Amino acid sequence: MDYHRTSVDDILPQGQSLPGRASMDPNPAGQRPPRHELPAMDADAFHSASTRILTAINTVIDGKAEAAKLALTVLLAQGHLLLEDVPGVGKTLLAKTLGRTIDCSVSRIQFTPDLLPSDVTGVSIYNQATRTFEFRHGAVFANIVIGDEINRASAKTQSALLECMEEHQVTVDGTSYRLDEPFMVVATQNPIEMEGTYPLPEAQRDRFMARISMGYPDRESEMEMLETHQASSPLARVTAVVTAAEVAAMIATVQQVYVSRSIKEYTVAVGRATRESGYLRLGASPRSMLQLLRAAKATAALEGRDFVLPDDVVSVAEAVLAHRIILDRKAASAGETPQSVIRAIIAKIPVTPDVTASPNGTGRPARKASAMAAAPSPKLPNPR
Amino acid sequence: MTLAPQRSHGSGTGTAGTEEPTVLPSGAASRPDTRGAQPWVMAAAVAVAVAGAALGFNGVLRGWAWYSPVFSTVLSVAFSLAVLRSLRARPWLVTAGGLLTLIVAVTFIFFRQHSIAGFIPSPETMNYLGKFLRRASETVLAESTPVAPNAGIVMLICAVLGLLVILIDALAFPLALPATSGMGILAILVVPAMVKPQSVGVLGFVGAAVGYLLILGCSHWYTPDTRTLADTARNPGQLRRGAVTAVAALTLTLVLQLVIPGFDQGTFPQGSRLNPFGGATGLNPMISLGTSLRSPSGEGRITFATNAPTTPYLRSVTVDNFDGDSWSPDDRESSRQPGTGRIEAGHEAAPAEIRVLTAVNTGQYTSPYLPAPYAPEAVNGLSGRWSWDPATLSIKGVDTNSRDQQYVVSSVTPQLTAALLAGASGPVRGVPEQFLREPSNVPEVVRSTANTVTAGANSPYARAMAIQRYLRSTEFSYSLQSPVQGGYDGNGLSVLADFLIQKSGYCIHFASAMAVMARLEGIPSRIAVGYAPGRPTGATVAVSGQGPLPEFEVDARDAHAWPELYFQGIGWVAFEPTPSRGVVPAYATDASAPSGASTNDRNDALTPGDGSTQAPFPIPVPVPVPGAGTAAPGGAQAAQVLYGVAAVLLLALLVASPRLVRSGVRRRRLRTADRGYPGATGGTALPAWAELRDLATDYGMAPGASETPRHFSERLRASEAMAEPGVADGPGQRAAAALTEDFEREQYGRPGGAAGPARNAGSAGSAGSDDLVDSAAARVALVQASLRANAGFLVRLRAAWLPPSVMSGWRRSLQLPRGILSRTAQRTRRGFAGSWGKIRNSVRRVRRR
Repeated sequence: MDYHRTSVDDILPQGQSLPGRASMDPNPAGQRPPRHELPAMDADAFHSASTRILTAINTVIDGKAEAAKLALTVLLAQGHLLLEDVPGVGKTLLAKTLGRTIDCSVSRIQFTPDLLPSDVTGVSIYNQATRTFEFRHGAVFANIVIGDEINRASAKTQSALLECMEEHQVTVDGTSYRLDEPFMVVATQNPIEMEGTYPLPEAQRDRFMARISMGYPDRESEMEMLETHQASSPLARVTAVVTAAEVAAMIATVQQVYVSRSIKEYTVAVGRATRESGYLRLGASPRSMLQLLRAAKATAALEGRDFVLPDDVVSVAEAVLAHRIILDRKAASAGETPQSVIRAIIAKIPVTPDVTASPNGTGRPARKASAMAAAPSPKLPNPR
Repeated sequence: MTLAPQRSHGSGTGTAGTEEPTVLPSGAASRPDTRGAQPWVMAAAVAVAVAGAALGFNGVLRGWAWYSPVFSTVLSVAFSLAVLRSLRARPWLVTAGGLLTLIVAVTFIFFRQHSIAGFIPSPETMNYLGKFLRRASETVLAESTPVAPNAGIVMLICAVLGLLVILIDALAFPLALPATSGMGILAILVVPAMVKPQSVGVLGFVGAAVGYLLILGCSHWYTPDTRTLADTARNPGQLRRGAVTAVAALTLTLVLQLVIPGFDQGTFPQGSRLNPFGGATGLNPMISLGTSLRSPSGEGRITFATNAPTTPYLRSVTVDNFDGDSWSPDDRESSRQPGTGRIEAGHEAAPAEIRVLTAVNTGQYTSPYLPAPYAPEAVNGLSGRWSWDPATLSIKGVDTNSRDQQYVVSSVTPQLTAALLAGASGPVRGVPEQFLREPSNVPEVVRSTANTVTAGANSPYARAMAIQRYLRSTEFSYSLQSPVQGGYDGNGLSVLADFLIQKSGYCIHFASAMAVMARLEGIPSRIAVGYAPGRPTGATVAVSGQGPLPEFEVDARDAHAWPELYFQGIGWVAFEPTPSRGVVPAYATDASAPSGASTNDRNDALTPGDGSTQAPFPIPVPVPVPGAGTAAPGGAQAAQVLYGVAAVLLLALLVASPRLVRSGVRRRRLRTADRGYPGATGGTALPAWAELRDLATDYGMAPGASETPRHFSERLRASEAMAEPGVADGPGQRAAAALTEDFEREQYGRPGGAAGPARNAGSAGSAGSDDLVDSAAARVALVQASLRANAGFLVRLRAAWLPPSVMSGWRRSLQLPRGILSRTAQRTRRGFAGSWGKIRNSVRRVRRR
């Protein structure tokens, strides 16, 4: 992709088009095979399905409703999720619960330094009986793949998984095998400062739609957890509440959520601001803009709307963007975090259009946006 | 796929500043780093400042003809400085080059014929330079403003202004003291401020101020002071702070003059120059008489009603010291008598007298001296303290001036006849010596003329009549312009000599000629300054005990000077040597004296005809003590009241205008919003949303620029501005929620799907839309009622009369010109730099060959 010619169209999902071209076929024949044959759900069915999933997750993990919702958002937006936090706060539990609530195939890979790529993708084995090579599917052949402690594997193995994530297919010995839909990788990792970890390179982090930090539960939640989860694993009580077909229909619904031109402009403004900010060594990629918009669509659908609001973009921006950007050294030494920089940038982007100031023109706010993004945040130290 | 290119360039929204690498300090991003245009812009700023301040010289020099050489000099010097600087010459070379250009320019303009090749000074040039400088110094010393722009003084001004360009440039540029360069501009302004009666004048002040601000702005633009840079690149608060400072300073100035006692009154009402509401027009004896006479507008109107048989001259002050280059009234403060109830001439009076009562209203006329008919006996109805001079009977304010005075003068006019005067041949006694003293350096032409004219006359009266006859003869002509053209406008003995040779001038020349010649002939004399009789207004004024008296008016065009000569046993007698002005008294007429021809058409019309000078009331009634008359003209007061009412109305309009604007905007929006609002077709929720935002702004809940509509709406609904704490579902809140939802649906929703139902009940605030009225106007009204109900008194007041939503818009539009200016400046700078670079490159290419 040529980054020098970024435009609104480049970062739009294939099915989305500008309002002027709204009547066009969202999936032009021949360009890409439709992933989901299932029709979209109606609003009530979508709402009930999403409520069921979230309720189920919340019975298992106490006080993490936000994380659960974000995980569902990523699933519906066809992205992959990276759970990053210190050991023992429920990363794997969340991933497992999400898999268990959906009636679909779930596989789990415990990443270790000696894990081989073929363990992930599968391997061709010579069958003595038939005297042929036959392909034995790897762990990645499932609807939901839980990659535990992904940063403990070697870079080679990580890459194998990441290729599957991007392509939704596995190629072994010249033969491509399509992965099932829906397909979602939920990877967990410890913060990179921990011992025995291979940090994910930027390029690979970029393939995860969102990164969530679990965080410690609050006092009440922790007390309740001690009360209820003492005897048995809470996971045992969880049963599937939706089918894979329902999830696919939900995904189709999310894809039909409408994105207006001003939302696209707002998203582009956010992306440009991260690239022009003086505090970031690496800004958000155009791919991340695409994923930001998808996540916003899923959020809108979960909120019961068939169109995206700026609030949807704002609510997912931190999770979607923070793990892709790299702080400037000075900002890092000033104690800034990627999250705080993203928040500061969002706080400066005017929500277009400003109906009071300029009822029709979007030129002025857009100009203002880039100017404001270039200006340092009052909170941050002067980068000079 | 590579992540190496971190930034996207050139999709059009980036400004010049943002194209710099973002990892660099972004505060410096919008600073210009090309300085190609700097010398040009700076030189232009300096030229504007000097040329602008030089506008104040209009009035010191007459007319505008002098401005073109001045302008050319300033421009050429500034241009040469800019050229040298853009060629990166050393600072001292730049200054030297500027000086050289100045010399060449001045030589070219003034000494073209007397120099080598028209611009290189030669020894001959030096001779002429000396001559010009002498002429200039004579002008400065001898003439009163406005002086005729002779070559000497203009050359001097050109040279000085050229030097100042170099000085200001040096201060602002290599020395980097742009604020100090204001001293140079001040030096220019001081001259008109001190010399001109009306101070610097608006033009000069505005020109200087604009230029100074340009210098400051340009220096700051190119070499920004880091101390004044806040956290943002262009420091947007600067303009606001500047405006606040300016308003505070202006307010202080206006208030201070009310607080300082005597600031705008008293003998020298300097403060009244600042009076913005009315021009204080006085009769500056001598200095501005010519100006007053030439004034086309007739300011300083005085009305008076009198029962005199002939319309009297109003006399204000006398001049009796003819020494020196310029004459001024003699103030013998020590011998002045306080109080005007009883004024005594203290010398012999004529045998027959008539008493005259005159009610005067001075209006805007501002002078320390009181205009009164001669010879006043008592003045009643004055405000403030006044004193009178026994020698001249001039009445002068002690702590006040003549502005807005209404008073009644009781005066005594001697009944004079030619025979009576002819008999007054006795030697003069009892007259102060100052009226007899011959001026020290009388020009020869005056003395010889006096001798020639009075040859053969043996009595003082005969000599006086001879002088008057001579001055009224056809040899002399009345002209306001010829003294200006001849360079002898004004007064003084040298002017007098010029006048006697040119034989053309106006009243001050005729009067002084007669007065000086009379002294040479031994007759005590003085010059009276005041007003010629003027015109009847047609109105009558009731003065107590008199019945209605005819009213007359005089203004600046009637300003006049005439000689008064003393005759033993009779007293001071006025003569009228000025042709076509005033009225020749009966005792001073002789059949053979022809009236001089006037070269000034306008003043012919002003000459009172016989009709007006004939007394409408032939019987003079002696009045013992006149009471304070009702002469105070109601007209002026009515006008003041009218002005006051108008000012109050204007103020009210100004205060109300934010309110008017706000309600106008609201009405327009709601009309648009309600057009087909309930249905999905054609209606639009945007105006109602804008109205909601403005309403919130008015009540202190302004939406942030980066705040999403939903967040803003939730904040508004949850705030105390909208509801009591704890109330979450008031009608106002539901109305606001409905407005928000409509806006979101229209702004962000699928086009054409605006009427679609919300997906589920979780959608914020949609539940209330059923029981709510369906009109946007009604919803807005609900929100407004809720906001009003919860706001404090002051907030309500502000929302009604100074709504922040309107005021912030005004502030924005105030800042708009600045943005346009800076953009234009940027473009100009780039253009200049580009073209200059091209020129320089081509020059280099040519040189290399």
